[in-house]
Amino acid sequence: MTFSSIEFLLWFLPVFLIVYGITPSKYRNLTLLIGSIVFYAMGDAGNLAPLMLSVLCNYFIGLHLAKRSPRTLWRKRLLFVTALSINIGILIWFKCRGGSAGLPLGISFYTFQILSYLIDVYRGDADREYSFLKFATYVVMFPKLISGPITRYGEVKDSLYNRTFTMQGLEDGMKLFVLGLAAKVLLADRVGILWHEVQVTGFESISTPLAWLAAIAYSMEIYFDFWGYSLMAMGLGRMLGIELPRNFRRPYMARGVRDFYRRWHMTLGQWFCRYVYIPLGGSRRGELCTIFNLLVVWMLTAFWHGAGWNFFCWGGLLWICIVLERQLGRLKFVHKMKVLPHIYLWLIIPVSWMCFAITDLSQLQVYLDKMMWLVPGISGGYEDAWKALSTYGGLLVVSGLACTPAIEKLYDYSKDKILMKILLAAVFWYCVWRLILEGNNPFMYFSF
Amino acid sequence: MLQKLRQWIRKLSFPISLLLMGVLFFTWTDNWQVYTDPLRELYNRGVQLAGGARMDHTSEPGQQDGTVSGDTVPEGTEDPTGESRTPAVGETSADTQTETMTTEEPQPTEPSEELPKEVVYHTVDDSYFDDAVFIGDSRTVGMYEYGGLEETSTFYASTGLTIYKMFDSKIVAVPGQKKKITVEEALSEKQFAKIYLMIGINEMGTGTVESFMKAYGEAVQHLQQLQPDAVIYLQAIMKVTTERSGQGDYITNEGIEARNEEIAKLADDEKIFYLDVNPLICDETGGMVASYTYDGVHLKAQYIPIWLDFLKEHAVE
Repeated sequence: MTFSSIEFLLWFLPVFLIVYGITPSKYRNLTLLIGSIVFYAMGDAGNLAPLMLSVLCNYFIGLHLAKRSPRTLWRKRLLFVTALSINIGILIWFKCRGGSAGLPLGISFYTFQILSYLIDVYRGDADREYSFLKFATYVVMFPKLISGPITRYGEVKDSLYNRTFTMQGLEDGMKLFVLGLAAKVLLADRVGILWHEVQVTGFESISTPLAWLAAIAYSMEIYFDFWGYSLMAMGLGRMLGIELPRNFRRPYMARGVRDFYRRWHMTLGQWFCRYVYIPLGGSRRGELCTIFNLLVVWMLTAFWHGAGWNFFCWGGLLWICIVLERQLGRLKFVHKMKVLPHIYLWLIIPVSWMCFAITDLSQLQVYLDKMMWLVPGISGGYEDAWKALSTYGGLLVVSGLACTPAIEKLYDYSKDKILMKILLAAVFWYCVWRLILEGNNPFMYFSF
Repeated sequence: MLQKLRQWIRKLSFPISLLLMGVLFFTWTDNWQVYTDPLRELYNRGVQLAGGARMDHTSEPGQQDGTVSGDTVPEGTEDPTGESRTPAVGETSADTQTETMTTEEPQPTEPSEELPKEVVYHTVDDSYFDDAVFIGDSRTVGMYEYGGLEETSTFYASTGLTIYKMFDSKIVAVPGQKKKITVEEALSEKQFAKIYLMIGINEMGTGTVESFMKAYGEAVQHLQQLQPDAVIYLQAIMKVTTERSGQGDYITNEGIEARNEEIAKLADDEKIFYLDVNPLICDETGGMVASYTYDGVHLKAQYIPIWLDFLKEHAVE
């Protein structure tokens, strides 16, 4: 069950909020835990038992990892390594199994959060959690259960112990949620139709301009889909009184790929930085070692997204860009350039997203050839691009504007104005109306 | 006092507007079906579980529902006999039900066994289609966009077109005008020498082979009335990939085959001909070749020529 579904918006969320609201604050963690379990069961009931088993096991492991006595240090180490291996092993097994069964809902996200907890406790960066209820709530709380943000235990510990459920928080959270919902329903789902159409047409037949348009459309789709989801998660958290970390900071406004990935899915980047890059030595052991460390991080990031070869192409391309940027960054004049870094980013990112989106390598080859102007389209002309532009041009422009700081500034400035409140409420119901119309799935909207 | 009230309204303006708009929204656009439909279903199931009997329409569902939802279900909107969400094409499920029953009866009349007259097809070039009109759904839209005939031939094609709404759909653009006219109007205004019809995939979800063929037969008759001199090519519905067919929704190759068999019977081989491109685009599993399509339903643009060439090799003149 995604946030942008009728069941969630009109059934789960109102019922949950009412129950949560009338629960005495002492028992709110329990309400949240039960609600989250219901939420997960509504999405993927078959994998609920493994999830809860994993939570239970890791809870006990966490308790034992913190024991500090030199005599039992080796035992602690053994337990730590075993626990890490099993958690990671399960994740790898599911990733590689592939097939039609798919992954258990949210496993990539909750596994990484459990790992961060185990490592933090082992390293002494965080205290172990004695309360099973609090630990389980941390892992399975529904706002972040299935798509992040990947949150360390320390980041939400305080709100698990003591949080307030206020009208103001509810309203602020609701408004953030509407913003995210709008990004998903009004931008991502609609601009994504262009990308879908190009896939139906077949990459062999499209012109180079259309290949770029579709790549840009996909770039917009994936951004507003994920950013929207993260906003909704943050909003839900705030409604309940939990502050979740920010996941995006206007990534398409970045200067270069390095900067981009400090702004895109920030919590994943921070996870890899904290638990892989820095333990490997980070950038403190010379340039060659740094480049190697970056390679490790990017290959792991690629694998985290999926076991397909195309993800390694994606990670590899980004790694090359980042390494080159590091070298260029030594030159002073590069930092003074204002426009070129942005242009470079806007050219490279759509290409990288195509590596991400197209899982069939031969098809990927065809698409990249198209983008590089190596093969003409079926008709030799650009009519297809014009047609797409006339249909989706406006939407692409709006999406582009929504990537700039303007939207956020406008929101921050006017979110407490009465007109904005009414507008946001209207946007919410408009989104609901579209969702009902489209039957939850934008592509179901397609008849043939 | 007034001051305080004002403050409260200001403070609660967002939740109030959200709720108010929600009430308006449900009342006007959705008739509260988002809530009433699942509740009714729950209630039905509950009754079935409890009594093992079918739902009694006269009983009052209100009470049990209240315990399920706990909020926002208005009283009085529940009406078990009232209209429920209608399927897209407008056939109610009740019709479907009864017609399914009739299909299961064995058909007593076997089609009379006569040796089919061999139709002699010619091979033609693109100019053959200059006075032709293609009517159909998104597959025909694909032909329009990537067949290379968009300048010379006429296409009355639209995504989602069904046989039921074929003549009444406003899909034909009039040069120089913004509004579109219906296929009926367009066919009344202009005569064509050939009509190519491929339609039927969108109808798979509603009705039965019989109800579909009834509409299809009537449509063909109406086409003949409107275009008495035209040769009508009834094209078999293109199959989908075997994977798509097995996806578990209403679109199956078995269903398509059943319809195609019936469409073929409409051909008289004098003015109406039946053309089946499926053998050229299907693999040994009986479905569309997987590499020819992304979504399992539409030919990729680069494989449209297979279809076009087939039509060019099967012209009667």
